[in-house]
Amino acid sequence: MHQESQHELPNLVSFLADKVGLTTHLGAQIYLWENVIFSLIIVVIISLIAYFGTRKASMIPGRLQNAIEVVVGTLDDFICGILGPKGRSFTPFIGTLFIYIIFMNLSGIVPFMKSPSASWSTTLALALCVFVYVQYSAFKELGFLGYFDHMMGRPRGILAVSVFIPIMMFLLHIVSELVRPISLSLRLRSNIWGDEMLLSVLSGFGLPGIPLIIFSTLLAILAAVVQAVVFSLLTTIYLALVLTHEEEAV
Amino acid sequence: MELLKLLSANEIVAQVISFLILLILLRVFVWKRILGLLDKRKERIILEFKKIEEANKQIEELKAEYNLKISDIDQLAKQKIQDSLMQAKLILEEARKSGHLAAQEILDGAKANIKFELAKAKDELKNEIIDLTIKATENIIQEKLTEDGDRKLINDFLEGVDKLE
Repeated sequence: MHQESQHELPNLVSFLADKVGLTTHLGAQIYLWENVIFSLIIVVIISLIAYFGTRKASMIPGRLQNAIEVVVGTLDDFICGILGPKGRSFTPFIGTLFIYIIFMNLSGIVPFMKSPSASWSTTLALALCVFVYVQYSAFKELGFLGYFDHMMGRPRGILAVSVFIPIMMFLLHIVSELVRPISLSLRLRSNIWGDEMLLSVLSGFGLPGIPLIIFSTLLAILAAVVQAVVFSLLTTIYLALVLTHEEEAV
Repeated sequence: MELLKLLSANEIVAQVISFLILLILLRVFVWKRILGLLDKRKERIILEFKKIEEANKQIEELKAEYNLKISDIDQLAKQKIQDSLMQAKLILEEARKSGHLAAQEILDGAKANIKFELAKAKDELKNEIIDLTIKATENIIQEKLTEDGDRKLINDFLEGVDKLE
């Protein structure tokens, strides 16, 4: 669970684990579940913001509700812009994914916090959620036979082409579907892990009064946002690819 | 294989669960509420725009109606002025006619009066001439005639005078 922490900055959980004692069972368990603990902290923070921002939701919004509305509206427009009007049903999943990832990515910049997304287990968990959701949506949208028909690709030609190529395409599609969670999770994990390493290494360098970490922090913020957008965008594209295409619908 | 050592099944499961928890919480607190609210607001804005458009249409219609009414009022005013002028002319004409009639009546009355007065004066003059003639004749001829005979003579004389007139 926690094999990549040699170069990380100290954080709340590592302090607590040290306090309890790494050699003790509790200390070892805390240290082992570090990423999950930070993920749960982020879940709690996001839930609290969501709760307090929307508990008195009204037509004339307050500041927090307004900020939430901006985020929700932007995400909905973004998703519906790619998937069309039926994209609305996918907004909660992709939107939650984006918010969760961006919070996880940015938490690494906050002192004594850590990016859980720097762990491959975390990103793979999210990628698996995406994989399952995409396949479920495809089955739901296309039906069992429609799904296989879709996987065999288009166009279909005469005899040999109509049998051989669709089978090959089917296998190719299966492989590509199975590879997606790995590529998706490794991309996010590696970028954020790299940022964490950079922050950790550069924290000790710089001119007096101007630590180098300031510049790398800006870079880390940019990378955190870009990676969250990339993950969400790819999820949206995966959904767009498995949903009914115009040429199939005809 | 080295890469796989980075993975932990327990952590993956825990992370999936924490994501699902967040998904459920946000679905309840954010997505349903805020998307519903945004849709409602959008609908309300569209409705308000429609209302504004309808109000604009009504204003345009009222404006056209108002302009039509103003032009009608202008025409009506002109018509009324024309009617009043006509009526005034009629009244004037009637007044003139009745004035003429009254004047004619007065004139006729005056003429009748004059005729009457003239006849009366003639009669008086006749009587006076008769009396004078009787007296003069009595004086001249010194002869006493009967009154009826005198009168007959004088009447004959006067008729002769009338004929001369």
